[in-house]
Amino acid sequence: MMSMIKKLHKWLSLLVALQLFIWLGTGLFFNLMDHEKASGNQYRQSLQVAAIEQARLIEPSLVLASAQPVVSIRLISLLAEPYYLLTHQQGLYRHLKSEYSLVHAYTGARVRITELMAAEIAQASYSGAGQIISVVKLSPPYQDIPKEKNQVWQVNFADQINTSVYVDSQSGRIVSHSNDDKRFVDFFFILHFMDYGNTGSFNNIQVIVFGLLTMLFCLTGFIWTVDLARHGQFNFSVSRQKRQLILLNKSQHTIAKFEVSKRVNLLDALNQQDIALPSSCGGGGSCGQCKVKLKTSSKITSAEQAHFNNQQLKQGYRLACQHNAGEIEQLSLLNDVALAKKHLLELSHSEFISPFIKELRFKVVGGYRLRYKAGAHMRFFIPAANGVSIPQRLPEALKPHWQEIALLQYQHKACSRHYSLACGKGQVDGGTNELVFTIKIQNAANNSVLPGIGSSYLCNLTPGQTISAVGPFEAFYAQPASNKTMVLIGAGSGMAPLKAIIEEQLSAAQVSKCKLREIHFLYGARTRQDLLYQAHFLQLSQQYQQFYYYPVLSNPDPQWQADKGYVQALLATQLHTIFDVSHTEFYLCGPAAMMTTAMEILIENGVDASNIAFDKFS
Amino acid sequence: MKLLKTSRKFHRWLMLFVGVQFLIWSISGAYMVIFDIDYIHGDSLVVNHQTKVEVSKIGYPLAQLQRRYPDAKDIALEVFIEQPVYRFHENDSQYLVSAVNGTQLSPLSQNEAVRAAKHYYRGHGKVVDVSLITTQPPTELSSRALPAWRVNFEHFSQPSIYVSAQTGKLVGKRHQFWRIFDLMFSFHVMDYQDEDPSNQLLFWVLLFAILAAIFGAILSYLLIFRGSKAHQQAGEL
Repeated sequence: MMSMIKKLHKWLSLLVALQLFIWLGTGLFFNLMDHEKASGNQYRQSLQVAAIEQARLIEPSLVLASAQPVVSIRLISLLAEPYYLLTHQQGLYRHLKSEYSLVHAYTGARVRITELMAAEIAQASYSGAGQIISVVKLSPPYQDIPKEKNQVWQVNFADQINTSVYVDSQSGRIVSHSNDDKRFVDFFFILHFMDYGNTGSFNNIQVIVFGLLTMLFCLTGFIWTVDLARHGQFNFSVSRQKRQLILLNKSQHTIAKFEVSKRVNLLDALNQQDIALPSSCGGGGSCGQCKVKLKTSSKITSAEQAHFNNQQLKQGYRLACQHNAGEIEQLSLLNDVALAKKHLLELSHSEFISPFIKELRFKVVGGYRLRYKAGAHMRFFIPAANGVSIPQRLPEALKPHWQEIALLQYQHKACSRHYSLACGKGQVDGGTNELVFTIKIQNAANNSVLPGIGSSYLCNLTPGQTISAVGPFEAFYAQPASNKTMVLIGAGSGMAPLKAIIEEQLSAAQVSKCKLREIHFLYGARTRQDLLYQAHFLQLSQQYQQFYYYPVLSNPDPQWQADKGYVQALLATQLHTIFDVSHTEFYLCGPAAMMTTAMEILIENGVDASNIAFDKFS
Repeated sequence: MKLLKTSRKFHRWLMLFVGVQFLIWSISGAYMVIFDIDYIHGDSLVVNHQTKVEVSKIGYPLAQLQRRYPDAKDIALEVFIEQPVYRFHENDSQYLVSAVNGTQLSPLSQNEAVRAAKHYYRGHGKVVDVSLITTQPPTELSSRALPAWRVNFEHFSQPSIYVSAQTGKLVGKRHQFWRIFDLMFSFHVMDYQDEDPSNQLLFWVLLFAILAAIFGAILSYLLIFRGSKAHQQAGEL
């Protein structure tokens, strides 16, 4: 329910935003405007009233005897002369259709409002200095007086504000004064009322539709605000009090304690400690990525209800952005070693290992070692820079592969990117000072999108250049030692974490001198040139009896003798012949399509989900 | 990411204070634009009579009237229900005098007022309440129309017909929908007494409302148009 309301609010904002700003802006204008000017009556003065000589008046009954029937005959004054105004047909309001005639009150002569009379009447009502420049008889509708339904004389004056005086063509009454100030205000009314037909009304279909949409928009926003308030998302305390926050790892061991301000949310609090939980929405509760575990009694917000099921909520799963540090004393991270620190890395070696993939080796500046489980990744901070779609210093032999890529220079903003560590020495001798990555330079799918910013930037670094990165993050790693068979399925540069896992397993077995379990590595590539580290894996498979290497090519040359097709197809055919699925762990890393198909194949063949680990490849 | 967070924070906090007014603006605005203004004004409550002055009935000439009321101004010969009448001002007072025989009809008796109100009223409901208002008119009646008779008719919209006690003219027509409209308008312009849009309260609330809306627009822009990018860059700081 709440998530629907939030979605509705977000999308309605798109629909009504522009009109809402028009309403607010014109509203502010009406609030501030000079009402005197807005009336249009800047140069209006009241008319002189004729002094009536009663003795000279003709009896109304005499006038009526020779006139059309009337609902009213009234003694009025026009240009200092007395007249009888005969109303034959009376509109409910004066601006509605009416019929009048005029008779001189002394002579009984029928009088019509001529151009000259209209001009004189208008002049008499005008206090400005402007000369009359034109007198025009008009029929409705009128721009200046949209509601008026009777014929009028428009008398225009030459003054700075272009005053127009409207005189009723039948009765000689001053209908209205208008000028540029009033027209300016009228324009704002047209905007406010969406009265684009200038009908002088606000009962049009567009304003009704927008009004209702806006009502729904405000209502959803209101409900949202109430929901936020109910879940304590508004903290009124202004204290700068701090409290100690205890950070636990996945296995509930305290890994850090630090002081945080009570008012910041946990996502920001952790960020300040260089512990970057994933988040793409920046703390709105909408992406659902900043998962942590809190006390089971912690409050549950609607955002959390949308991202967790009841069982998870009962176990204490929450989103870090939804809770202030003041509410809680301790939190558990879900991924161990999210306690990652920022490191400065210096590129020591950069080399193409296939036409589009480079192996990059970095040294940790400061000479210290990083410990990580194989499968871990680092997050690189790519600075804003100028990028180029084709790598500089491209070896001559690879140039044919890059022929079809359009050369494109572009600027990119700062961003961050994850890359898996491709070396299995992270747990040997207290870690390693050298970090190895295999990075595919992502080309643009078409001209409208930029090539991969992160991969291009990193692959264009020259040895000696530095870059900062945070990590290692251990989200994907080998299960604790078991005697189950390991099957690793990879494609393209998705091989990196799998390579690390394989190396880690092999060297661990060698160190502990225990029996090595069976390890099968199914690796898919397009052509022979794309097979990364082929010699390395062939050598390993010869060195270790229990390690099996299955390279698969989807686009092989005629000399290729081994498996052909996609790696997932090989998995499907081999699954039951080689492996006992109930006694096998599967590790997947590669492009999304390959991962999805491979997962489907595994699930269809009765592989328990707990025996599948995967690393999303991006 | 910084802009996103700042915008979200300010949008939330500002809306905590001005959000209710947004809801009020939208509800009152919707009410005012949905109901036809002529209906609101009660145009359908009354009959716009076009009864003509019967010249043959005029037995009391203007000259005689002017001798009796020498300072009469703004004189009109019109029809009250069915009889020809003179209406005029004299010394800040208004008069209704029969043009048939010169009888002064003003001020109107209750019976005459009810008869007039029934004549103007288009509906058929019974009269439920009649009262003469001489001072302190309700907000729905202009003080210039005083003294006036209020005649309430039986109908779910609670219509009131106001008849001038001095001229016998229809000076007001109100029903519940207009009264609600007035209420909506006062809430819309945030002036709960004079319904004047130029007030300080409206100014300050509008100012914060515009700020809140700008932050909201930034949020929408970032989340809708830059949203896909943000997701591609999951984990961006």
